[in-house]
This record gives sequence, C-alpha cells and structure tokens, in this order.
Amino acid sequence: MERKVNKLLVANRGVPAVRVMLTCRDRKIRTTAVYSTPDRLAHHVFMADSAVHIGEAPPVESYLNMEHMINAALQTGSDAIHPGWGFLAENGDFARMVMDAGLTWIGPPPEVIRLMGDKIEAKKIAARADVPTIPGISDVKDVKEIKKWLNEADVNFPVMIKAAAGGGGRGMFKVESEDGLATAFSQARSEAMKAFGDDTVLVEKYIESGRHIEVQVVADEHGNVVHLFERECTIQRRNQKIIEEAPSPTLNADLRNEICLTAVRLMREIGYRSAGTIEFIFDSVTKKFYFLEVNTRLQVEHGITELITGLDIVGIMLDVATGKKLPFKQPDIHPNRWALEVRLNAEDPRSFSPSFGTVTRLQIPQGPNVRVSSGVYEGDDVPPYYDSLFMLLMTAGADRQDAIRVMDRALGRNLRVEGIKSLQPLLLSIIRHPAFIAGEFSTRFLEEHHDELVSMFVEKNSEDEVLKIAKYVAEISALGPQGWM
Amino acid sequence: MKNSKFKTQNTGNETENYVLVKPGMSPKEIVDKVRSSAKVFLSSTGMRDAGQSDYKNRHRIYDLSTLAPYYNNMGLFSAECHGGARWHVGVMNRRESPFEEIAILRELMPDVLLQTLIRETNLWGYRPYPKNVIEYVVSRIDIDVWRCFSFLNDVRNMRAVAEVVMKRGRLFQPAISFTVAEWATNKYYLGVVRDIVDLCGGTDEIIVCIKDMAGVGSIKQIGTLVDSIKQAYPEIVLQYHRHITDGLAMPALLAAAQAGTKIFDVEEDSLVRFYGQSPILGVQAYFEESGISVHLNRKDAEAAVQKVREWIGHYEWAESPFKGYDHTVTSHKMPGGAFPSSFEQAEKGEFLHLMPAVLKVMSLYNKIIHYFDVTPGSQITWVTCSGIVNWYAKERGEAGVNHLIELLVKFIDEKGLNLDSMKKEEQAEILGLFRNAPGDFKNLLVGSYGKLPMGWPPGWVYRSAFGEEWEDRIRERRELSPLDVLEDDDLVKLRKDMSEAIGRAPSEEEFILYLMHPKDAVQFIEFRDKYGEAPLVLPTDVWREGLKKPGDRVEFELWGKPYCIELVSMGSEHEGVIHVVMKVNNKTRVYTVETPRAKKIEIRMAREPGDIATPIKGNVWRIGNPERGALKVGDIVHKGEEIANIEAMKMENAIEAPFDGQIKEICVKLNDPVSEGQLLFVIEEL
Repeated sequence: MERKVNKLLVANRGVPAVRVMLTCRDRKIRTTAVYSTPDRLAHHVFMADSAVHIGEAPPVESYLNMEHMINAALQTGSDAIHPGWGFLAENGDFARMVMDAGLTWIGPPPEVIRLMGDKIEAKKIAARADVPTIPGISDVKDVKEIKKWLNEADVNFPVMIKAAAGGGGRGMFKVESEDGLATAFSQARSEAMKAFGDDTVLVEKYIESGRHIEVQVVADEHGNVVHLFERECTIQRRNQKIIEEAPSPTLNADLRNEICLTAVRLMREIGYRSAGTIEFIFDSVTKKFYFLEVNTRLQVEHGITELITGLDIVGIMLDVATGKKLPFKQPDIHPNRWALEVRLNAEDPRSFSPSFGTVTRLQIPQGPNVRVSSGVYEGDDVPPYYDSLFMLLMTAGADRQDAIRVMDRALGRNLRVEGIKSLQPLLLSIIRHPAFIAGEFSTRFLEEHHDELVSMFVEKNSEDEVLKIAKYVAEISALGPQGWM
Repeated sequence: MKNSKFKTQNTGNETENYVLVKPGMSPKEIVDKVRSSAKVFLSSTGMRDAGQSDYKNRHRIYDLSTLAPYYNNMGLFSAECHGGARWHVGVMNRRESPFEEIAILRELMPDVLLQTLIRETNLWGYRPYPKNVIEYVVSRIDIDVWRCFSFLNDVRNMRAVAEVVMKRGRLFQPAISFTVAEWATNKYYLGVVRDIVDLCGGTDEIIVCIKDMAGVGSIKQIGTLVDSIKQAYPEIVLQYHRHITDGLAMPALLAAAQAGTKIFDVEEDSLVRFYGQSPILGVQAYFEESGISVHLNRKDAEAAVQKVREWIGHYEWAESPFKGYDHTVTSHKMPGGAFPSSFEQAEKGEFLHLMPAVLKVMSLYNKIIHYFDVTPGSQITWVTCSGIVNWYAKERGEAGVNHLIELLVKFIDEKGLNLDSMKKEEQAEILGLFRNAPGDFKNLLVGSYGKLPMGWPPGWVYRSAFGEEWEDRIRERRELSPLDVLEDDDLVKLRKDMSEAIGRAPSEEEFILYLMHPKDAVQFIEFRDKYGEAPLVLPTDVWREGLKKPGDRVEFELWGKPYCIELVSMGSEHEGVIHVVMKVNNKTRVYTVETPRAKKIEIRMAREPGDIATPIKGNVWRIGNPERGALKVGDIVHKGEEIANIEAMKMENAIEAPFDGQIKEICVKLNDPVSEGQLLFVIEEL
C-alpha cells in the first residue's frame, strides 16, 4: 500500500536532523524540527518549516521523550517521523508508537529493530543464518561469570564488554587484563543504563589488529534486498569511528563479494526493510570476518556510500517507507569512485575531552569533490548535553589517493573552526600519516600513533593570520594603550 | 620575508655607488678598506641606540625599516640595529623578535653591515650565561659586526664571544668602556687595549671601539687617549661611540678624528634628543669644514633624516620626562641608554621628585665602588642608589634624604672614606647603607661578574651588605671570569621545559629567545600565537591606540596580499565587556573584548598534593559511587575507589582516589559544571 508523506518530523538535532531535512527539501516535503531548551536557536530549528519545543536539556526529557515527539508530530500536522541516528533511532517501542499514532515510520519494522537491538539475540540469529560470529557470552550478571567463561572457552585478554542494547561505541569497554575487569564491568553497566535504559551487557573476545568493515543494505516491503557495497570504518577513537571510507582498501574482489552477499542473506533472513547496515570485524591476519551487529537505522557514514553510488539513502528510506519498490536491482549498482569521510567532533584533539561553547568562526570547505554536512552555523552554541559531532566532511575522487588529496585540501586549507576545539588537526595528521596512506592500519591505529599524530604540524594561512591581527585591533581599539607597551 | 611592506624599495637617489664595506667581506678586508681610505666613516645608531637612549627602545621595525633603503647606499660603515636592550624590549614591549628584524633589514639593505651590541658573558641579558649558552646563541645570529663590551673592562669575559665571532669570519669589535674618573687614566685604558689585542691576536682583524656610554669624556682627554693608543698600535682602527648628554659631543668627535679615529657613531638629526649620539648631517658638515673628509652619500642621508619625521611623532609618549642636556652626568654617570627607562621607573614608582637626590647619590656611590656605568653595572648602580634614597624618603621624609646626602658628602668628599673619622652614630648609619641592596649588588661584591677594574671595595661595604657573614663572603670572593666558573646549562632539558611551557616544540629562534629571557620569551610566544604578525604589519598609531572612530580603517599587506580592517562601531562597556564591530576585508565581524572589570567567576583549581582535580570539562553527576552512595566530609576513601563521576557528552569519567585518605572538603555540588583542572575534593592521606 502506498502512502504519502506531506510533512515530516525529524526526531533529532544537529547533523542528522539537518541531513534528513535536506532530502525533504529536494522532495518538497515540509519538515518539523524538535528542540530542547538549549537548542532553541540551533541550526536544525531554522532549517525546518516549523519547530516544536519538546523539553529541557537532558536527553531523557527532550530528544528521548517519545510522547513529546508523537505529540509534536500530531500538533504540527506532520504525517511521518524520521529518527535520524542516535536518540530514538533504534528504539522499537518508539517505532511502534509512531505507527500506532497513524504516522509513517521512516525506518525498519519495530520487531526487526527490537530483534537486532538485542545484541545477544542478534548474534544467535546471525549464527543461524550461517554468518560467522565472535566467541563470547551474553547476559553477563557478574565478573565471576566472565572469568569462568574465559577459562572454559580458553579465551585470552583483551576482551570487550558491550551494552546489549548499545551501538555507536557507547557502553563499550576494552579490558586488557583481569585487573580492570571489575571497574569496566560496572562502568559498562552503568553507562548502558544511562544511555539505553538497560544494563544488560555481553562479553566477547577482542580481535587484535581487526578492521571494521560494514555493508550498507536497502530493502523494500516487496522482498527486494540490495546492498550498496561496503564501507571501512577502522580508524576509531574509544571505539567510535572518526574516519570512514568506501570502498574498503582491505578487501579484494572475492572477499568483497562474500561479505556483501553474507549481509544480504542476513537481512533477507530477518525480513529487513528500509536502510540498514551490517557491521563486521575483519581479522586482517586470518582474512576472516565476524558478524558484529546490525544497525537498524541510517548511519552517520552513509554519505560516502551516496558519494560512490550517486544514490540518496534518505530518499530511498522515504520511498520504501511509503510502500514504493526499490527503483533498482543489484546489477544496477555501480560504485565508480572513492569517498572519504572525517567526523568533526567538538573535542580536544589531544585528550578527546569534550569542548563546548560558541562557534566564533566557521569557514566551510568548498571546491570540487567536497561534501559537507554541518549541524552548526557560525555563531551557534555547541551545548554540553549531546553528542560532540558537529560536522561531517566528505571528499571523493577517482581513486583513494585522489580522495585523500581533496581531504587534505579541505581540512588543511579550507575548514576553519574557532571558539570550540575540534578534531581537525588530528584528522589532518591521520590522513597524512604514511600508514594511513598505505592503507595499513587497524582499529588500534590511534592508540599506536597518538603521540606522533598530535605533534604533527598544522599549517598557517593568511586568512587565519589576519583574523589574529583583527582581534588585536579590536582589543586595543576598545581598551586603549596597554601597560606592557 | 613574506611581508610586502618590507619589499625592497628604490630611493630614487641613484648616483654613484657608496658601498665600500658589505656583508660577506672578511674581517681583514673590512679593516683594510677602512684603514686604507683617506676618509672617516660613520655608523648609524638610528636603528638601535638612538631609540634606546631617548625613546626607551620603542621604535618599531615597522618604522625603522623605512630608513633601510636609504641606508643601503648611504656609505655607512655599519648600521647598529641589534643588541643592547633592544632585544629584550622587543620581546617584552614591541613584541618583535630580533630574528624578524634581522630578516627584514637583510632584505631591504643587503649591502649594509648589521651591527649588534653584546655584553660579553651577559649577552643580551643581565647576568652571566654559561659558556655553552654563549656559544650556542652567538653562533646562530646573523650579525656582521659584533661590538662587545664589559662593564668591568674584564677582557677575559669576552673570550667566548670573540672566539665564536672570529671563527665564523664575522667582524669582532671589542669595546673599551670609557668613563671619566681619577683612576681612569690613559695608562689604564692602554692596558685594556693591550688585553684586547692579546685576546684577538693583533689588530688586523678587529676594530676597537671606545665606548663613552654616558657622554662624559672631556675633549682633551679623548684626543690624548686616541693618540696614545695609536702610538702603541699605529695600525689599529678605532671607532668612537659617544653619547651627547654633557652637551660636548661634537667637539669631542672632532678631537678623536684629528687624533686618528676612523669611524664615528651618529644618528639621524631628526632622531637626536639629549642622550643619544650626534646628528649625522651636522657631524659630516662639521668634519668637512674642519678638513676631515667623510665617506657619506649626503643626499640619501638627508632623505633618511627627512623620512624619520614621518613617524617620529608617534613616539612622543616614550621620550624621557627628563628633558635637556645634563652636564652633571659627568658626576652621576647615568648612561644614555638608561635615561628614559630610569626616569620612567621613577615616574611609575612615584619618586620622580627624588631624582635629583638619586643622581647625587649615584655620583657619590661612584667614588666608593669602581666599575663602569653600563649594563648590567648601570642597573646595579641605579637600583642600589634609588633604593637607598627611597628608603630614607619613606622612613624620614625629605629631611632624611637631605641628611643622607650630607652624611655621604662628609664621609666621601671631606673624610676621604675614612670610617673611623666619622662619629659613632654616623658609622652605624653608613654600615646600614647597603643592608637592603639588591642581590645583583651582592653578586658583584663576591665576584660573580668577574673582577672589578680597580680592585674590591673596602671591607665596610661588605659589612654593610652582608652583616655578620661579611668576612665569610670576602673569603669566598672569586677573581675568576664567569666563563671559568659557571657550569654549562642542560640545553636538552631547557628545550623540554620550554616545550612544556608553550605546549609545542619551539623553533630554533624561539629557543634562543628563551635562553636569553625564559619568562618573557614564553609570554612573547603566547602573544604571537594569539595575535600573529600584528606587531609587524600595523602602523604605529593603530598598534598603540587602535582604530578610534567608526569609519577609521587600517590597510596593510600580509604575505603579499592586501587587507583592510575598518571600525564599524564600538559598544559601550556592559558587565565588563565591550563589543567591537569591524569589517575585515569587507566581512563584518563582532569582537567581544573583556575589559579589566570583566566579571571573573572564581574557580578553585587543584594545586596541592591532596587536591583532587577533574581531568576534563563536564558535569558532576555523581559524588561517591553506586556501592556506597554519596560521600561526605570525614569519610574514609581507599586508593582506586571511585569518588566522583564527571559526565561529558554522555561519556562517564570515573574520578578515583589516588591514595587511602580522609575527605577534608568537597568543593563541588551535584550537577555543577566543572572545567579541566578544577578542584573537586581535598583529601588528607592516611
């Protein structure tokens, strides 16, 4: 049955909200923004055609408040909700509530979300579908249980403790030895409770020198499941991706085919619909890949897949949510370039401690082969309550070297952010690092190279320099001659 | 240089080539050229000592560089543009680095010898540096002529500088510190020249300077001194540096020229005030009229004099409040370079009215301890004497100051420094004279700077300065040069310290600034990291006052591209903040400027060993831990136990007790926002 979306509420803020609204503008679909008190003047609010205040700063009172979301949609005459990523994107109950309220849910069916949201269940289903999985135990109640498993399954440290309901790197703790086990266990549970409202955790063997590879899949309600090839997201900090690229520089044609078809098989098995991603960890020594999880939502890094395929994944989500068929079959998908993405987080590039405040200067990169997805504008405030991502910067090229060269220009010569600290200098150092350029790295790249990366040189340009001079002129004009003169 | 303000310019005065000596020539070639010429030569101090003597070294390279194109074909022997206090004042007050200045001048006047003034082991600072620092620094500075003086005329102290300079093939110019005193005879100075000639292996590769830094030399004495040096060393090339403070400089220069001096320090006529050097055009005219031919492109010299008038008005604020010549300099001996800064200190310290008394006490002090009033000696004299006068003024008022002077006049001039001939209570007072003297005065007495030219001061000076331990101090006193005493600095460690202070690896030039003046160099680098090249590109009025009214604009070039900053409007002060709206290359920007009255919310930072800080900025979302709940003052905590949790961007950060201890204070409340390093707990270790 085909439905129509006339007005869409985006149950999100910042970068994902802005991203979804841009496709809506393409489609001439009107949009509704929601905002918490500190986000009153945020970028996504002004992007939308209407906006609703949904609560105070803490996420549970605003962006995680399901009732307020539904009411906001009804009150503004919106007929559909897109959750973006994070917040309520992988909440099956919310998806159900949206549908029960007579609104169109832009995402996979609630049952699929619930099923895949339970990491333990998901792993079982993957195993049933003959998808390789990592050794581990689920629903861990105490540290003793972990020790017992380590012993019985003959697994060595390091191990990974993860929130069963988690995703996006939250509630994940790598444990190097028995000493850190207790602290990490309780911290994982506590963070899981705070972030996802569920403190169930699982423990898995940690794959050393692993690479993170994932497959983008789209599916409609007519039984069509098509993959849009893979992305590699190996460069991470604290288990959160900071650089992604497509295609993966790790895979050869056979492995690529195998991993993509495995993904399609799993998604078909679970009856997936909309856009989703299957994440794998790839052991570059043994050339084996293991199932990690299914992300039942739009992912942060979907843009690089759009760049290599020319498709609009948000647009596809809208189409299949309204009952349309996918407009293509697998043989129609021909990626023909290389794309790179870096995540600009408002963080200290040395310590990764969060930075917030006013963006006093924002110069957005332009020029050939650059795509920017910004959640903020110059003069905007980055509040301390939410995810630190404020901008995605993507570049493309005929090959990997091209894409890196464009990224070097965009990060080094174009992008300027002042007022808040950002990962920019670190990201620039990474893409200039010989190991990155050679494509030889693991998820531990940052830990291994952190010191040399932060000491690398950030170039000066006259645009920045003149603003320093202007700052001086402003201060002296206001304050007059200074005592130190 | 990327900055096109400092592009090579054509002066339009192209006639014959006046360049006789230039960078790249060997010292011997330079000395030969001067020796074999029938004419005398001039060095301009317009870019250094002129500014130091009358304008507190505030002349910016922005303005000075406008003279460079004229200097390039003026026929100068050299341009003194570096050293003395210009280095330190540049770093502290002008926020220019001496390296930038050299680079700019090399570009604009490639044919002129660049000259520095260096204080033997004290380099461009105020204390002796170890030998490895001297060698490191001197070998890395691109200067052609190295004038080196010792305030003790202790030629041994020049060795390290001399060796590096001569090995590099640059011209070493040892200077005799010259003053007028009973003990400062021609014979004495001839002895200093002999030491210099011995150190430098003859007179073929050096030029010897007679440095009258206070401007006190009598016309007759300078003539006889030059004559006796020339008789002892007929081939020696002499340069005469003389300040004008006593009002008798020009005839003194002529007397020196007639006795055989070849090079003279002068400055642009339009820069001349009261304490610097003689006017270049006047000297040339006076010499020519007296039958001494001067090597000078008069046309370019006149143009440079005229050029100065375009910008000198911006520096009126920097001039000494003490105006006019001062022939009493012959007794108090304050050097030209110290006049504006000493009077500035007196003004700031609110004792300007005591200056006549301070100068009088300086003239009496000179008769007790014999050295030369030039850096760092002049600072020691100044701080010691102004300290004594201020102490009397504070304790006993104006009458006390008068009494002090009467006492000293009696003791020194009437009783010939014979302590026993003074009354008991007068003796006690004299023995209290140096009780509050500065540390450098005491260092001088124990020989830290080297040996004094006329021997050590009498025992009572030590009693006065050191009290009961005075005899120990005399026993420990050394006569060795600091070069033979000071241990090398650990340069690797210093570089590391510096990297920590500025948060990055320093450049080679930044490291040298740090070696000279660590604290000031760090501040300089922080300033430049924040304000970029503002000190180099902004005109002096904007540098000092900013833009005054809406519509005022400043145009400049940066790295070869044009820029314009225009003031649109300025808000009034509100809660310690002024908003300034400016157009920067037509783009409107708002700057929030905090005034000194800006509200500062006091945040307690962790400082002591028992202070527990948050490593990140965030919110306190738990004090204590889930197992034992909230903590309160008096609770015992154990090493490794979570005592608080800071949340930032949804990530938890456990704060753990670093040792077993008892909570003495909890400095934050639940849900408080905290910034990096902020104090959370005070814990007493058990």
